[in-house]
Amino acid sequence: MHEGVSAGFLRPLINAYCSLPLHGITAIPGKISGALMVADAIEDAIPLIHGPIGCSYQRKINPFRPYLPFYDTPCTDMNDLDVVYGGEDKLRLGIQETEKRYHPNLIVVITTCASDLIGDDFKAVIEETKGDVGCEVVYTTGDFTEKSKPVGYQDSLYAITDQMICNGIEKEEIAKNEGSVNIITFPIHGAGLKTDEMASVLREMGIKINKVCFDHTRVKDLLDLPMAELTITDYPMAWTKLMKERLDVDHYETVAWDSYKESRNAELLSPYGIEGSTRVFTEIAKRMDKEGEAEEVLERRKSEAKGRLLAVRKGLAGKKVAYTAMGGLHSLEVMLLQDMGMEASVIIYNTLGLERLLSEDAIQEILDMSLEWAKKYGSDPEVLVNPTTEEERKAMKKTGTDLAVLSSLSNAVYELDKAGIRTFNPLEFMLHHQRVGFECPIELAIQLKEALKKPQRRKPLLSMLEYDTRRTNLIPHWAKLADMFVRLREGAIGDKCEV
Amino acid sequence: MNNAGIKTREGLVYDPTQDCKLVGAARAIAGVKDAITIVHARPGCHCGVLLLRALGSNQNDIRIVSSGLRAQDMVYGAEGRLTEAIMESYIDFKPALIAVCNCSAPAIMGDDVEGVVHAMKEEIPAELTALSTGGYEGPAWMGYEETLAELIRFMGPCEKESDIVNLIGVKDDDVNAYADLLEIKRMLNSQGITINAILTSSSFDEIRKAPKASLNVVLGGDGLESAKIMQQKFDLPYVITPYPIGLNNSIEFLDLITRGLNKALNQEFIETERERIKERIENIFLFLQGVYDTSVAVIGDSAHAFSLARFLSYELCFNVKVLAITSKNHISLAEAKIDDYFETVLIEPDRFEMNEEIKTKGVGLVFGSTLEKKLAWELGAPLVRMFYPVIDEVTISDTPYAGFRGVPHIIEKIVNSVINNYVEV
Repeated sequence: MHEGVSAGFLRPLINAYCSLPLHGITAIPGKISGALMVADAIEDAIPLIHGPIGCSYQRKINPFRPYLPFYDTPCTDMNDLDVVYGGEDKLRLGIQETEKRYHPNLIVVITTCASDLIGDDFKAVIEETKGDVGCEVVYTTGDFTEKSKPVGYQDSLYAITDQMICNGIEKEEIAKNEGSVNIITFPIHGAGLKTDEMASVLREMGIKINKVCFDHTRVKDLLDLPMAELTITDYPMAWTKLMKERLDVDHYETVAWDSYKESRNAELLSPYGIEGSTRVFTEIAKRMDKEGEAEEVLERRKSEAKGRLLAVRKGLAGKKVAYTAMGGLHSLEVMLLQDMGMEASVIIYNTLGLERLLSEDAIQEILDMSLEWAKKYGSDPEVLVNPTTEEERKAMKKTGTDLAVLSSLSNAVYELDKAGIRTFNPLEFMLHHQRVGFECPIELAIQLKEALKKPQRRKPLLSMLEYDTRRTNLIPHWAKLADMFVRLREGAIGDKCEV
Repeated sequence: MNNAGIKTREGLVYDPTQDCKLVGAARAIAGVKDAITIVHARPGCHCGVLLLRALGSNQNDIRIVSSGLRAQDMVYGAEGRLTEAIMESYIDFKPALIAVCNCSAPAIMGDDVEGVVHAMKEEIPAELTALSTGGYEGPAWMGYEETLAELIRFMGPCEKESDIVNLIGVKDDDVNAYADLLEIKRMLNSQGITINAILTSSSFDEIRKAPKASLNVVLGGDGLESAKIMQQKFDLPYVITPYPIGLNNSIEFLDLITRGLNKALNQEFIETERERIKERIENIFLFLQGVYDTSVAVIGDSAHAFSLARFLSYELCFNVKVLAITSKNHISLAEAKIDDYFETVLIEPDRFEMNEEIKTKGVGLVFGSTLEKKLAWELGAPLVRMFYPVIDEVTISDTPYAGFRGVPHIIEKIVNSVINNYVEV
């Protein structure tokens, strides 16, 4: 998705749907939803869902992108007879018909509970059928990547890499695009699509851009990925590891998860802001043997950005800010302290949504990380763990908080507005603006200053509702759904992880 | 195309215009105001149903929970999980009815859902039912029909009361469902008729007492099977009425019901309403003359789409080039044979084939659901959202599409959808 005329419509549209308390709160999207995101992001690919109609129809409205339905989701219409006798013939014919009907360059076969359980031999059918159709065919089951999250997304990218990109080619045969990198983003991560500045900095450092995915990506672009020397992603991906293994294309993650696990240096989890971006660019340069060129480029760009930031952030430095502890995972708190020079007054830590996903130690580690950060930048914030809205309000009043950087997805911001505490929506910033590069903190400074000047909203209608005292953004009914979901999912393999 | 001139899908690959049994069942249970639906399935099915409900209906009334079936349960079964989910649902929500939808994965695995439900009846003071909703078992409308039929199991004989009716075929997440019901109640009240139970938009207790009505009103044919069973079981007659969209469907709706109750039709009320509609039409008659004879496509479920197409063709004088029935019911095929108000009828078409057909017809306006947004955009035609699912428009006012008061509202929507676009010439 490009910026432009449609951005004016797109941002409020995305925002309108982003408060849905679904992902891991009251529900978990299935693998089909993630796989469809991948298939849809490849312009000349078409999904073929090997399963019953509901697996196709229901996923048209996708929890990863509820604001924009998936219009083309053909399926093999598996019925009870197929469940008894097998669906391999339908899959074979379905692949042929899909190719004739949609003329794609890639068919992504997405298997479902029904076809998985009856034991259809997808691999054999596809190998047999591939020769009859004039396009690539891959299949994704959700089992290739050991439940890496989001399963459908990880698994389908792995399937494409395994069965198409790395299939039938030796690394020696690849015509390398020397000194080039792939930049991979995904619509799930919203503003990650904004890679222009990153590409421009890398080019200036003498690093060529082989491909930017997924941005009007076609099958040909995917097949060209191995020409690069390095693939850059935000988080670790099973498919980039596979490409390294098979075709020796190295991979780099902007969130240095593995390095963090060794060093416990929380800065490694933050690829944004001036210092975070510098780290990312420096590390990429090192991997590409461009340290010399990078030094000058980064020094210049950094110094220019710092100069502009200094001018733009006037009036922000020293302002007291309340925010949610994320342990730097989304970097906003780092930017608030490091780039904006703001003072942390209150740190709110909501653990209710995390208990299902993280171990107790990991939950504590995130809070510790946030606190360390605040202290490092000279703040001594009040910490509230799972507070009520009233406790939040009181702490902010007591500390003289100027701005609450909180989202209505996690906090009852309207109550704070009503109490005369100005708010800034971090979710909107993360979705639409946050990215690696030096422009991002400047944009943040501009927006924070605007937030501080916003007219006060003293009579929000949303305050008329009754909210849960613990899940303060939810009405009691939804809070019950969320609590029950957590209890019923308890012990599910793959749900919980360590930091 | 079959002998009756009805087009059905041709290919094996199906881009469906309808959902599976699970959604039909979940929609029926959602209308039981104090019931909980447990989706016994892998997480995707639960998430999908929850998402549809949260985006397309009242966001403060979501009563859908997951059984928590996990990957590791695929080996040993998830009956224990389901037991826990039933218990938790009762403790948290104190529902009168808990309906367990047994979906594809546990159905194939062979979970004994009936057994769990039977065992739990001893444990909790709520009614329980198990619904067979494997995705491969059929489409949504079958799930809806079967669920209504299942609800009859909880009904007992009652002393009949005169001039009260049950409405059958209501889905409270249909577009404008709440406002439509208000209007339908108002219209029936004008005839001295009150509503007993609504299948489904009533409490479980009200539904249990459905047999005390003197007539079942089957709206647009949805839920016909349950009306037939109730006729047999409780000697309760039924009438099938059109969904009251437009002036004439509304009059026919009242006429059929009053005749079914052996009452005289209150003509005075109808004349007053007719006069009111006339006044409203007069306010914008130049625009209505302007859009006269527009070619349109109607894409929706059987109960609503036939009615709307008749209104558009007979009353607004549009050309219904394509009438696509995305989700049928037991009377759809008979309805499709009365073909004087549309050019082509497609029954449960494949989306790809349907779109191709419509693209050849010179359609200037599309009546459909959110899922027709791309087609409308490709055609350069406005989309009027009239059919489930609509997840990109909200309705919280009390302005109906149904009945006499619905007529100006629909006209308003149509004219505005045509004239409020930005275009460059």
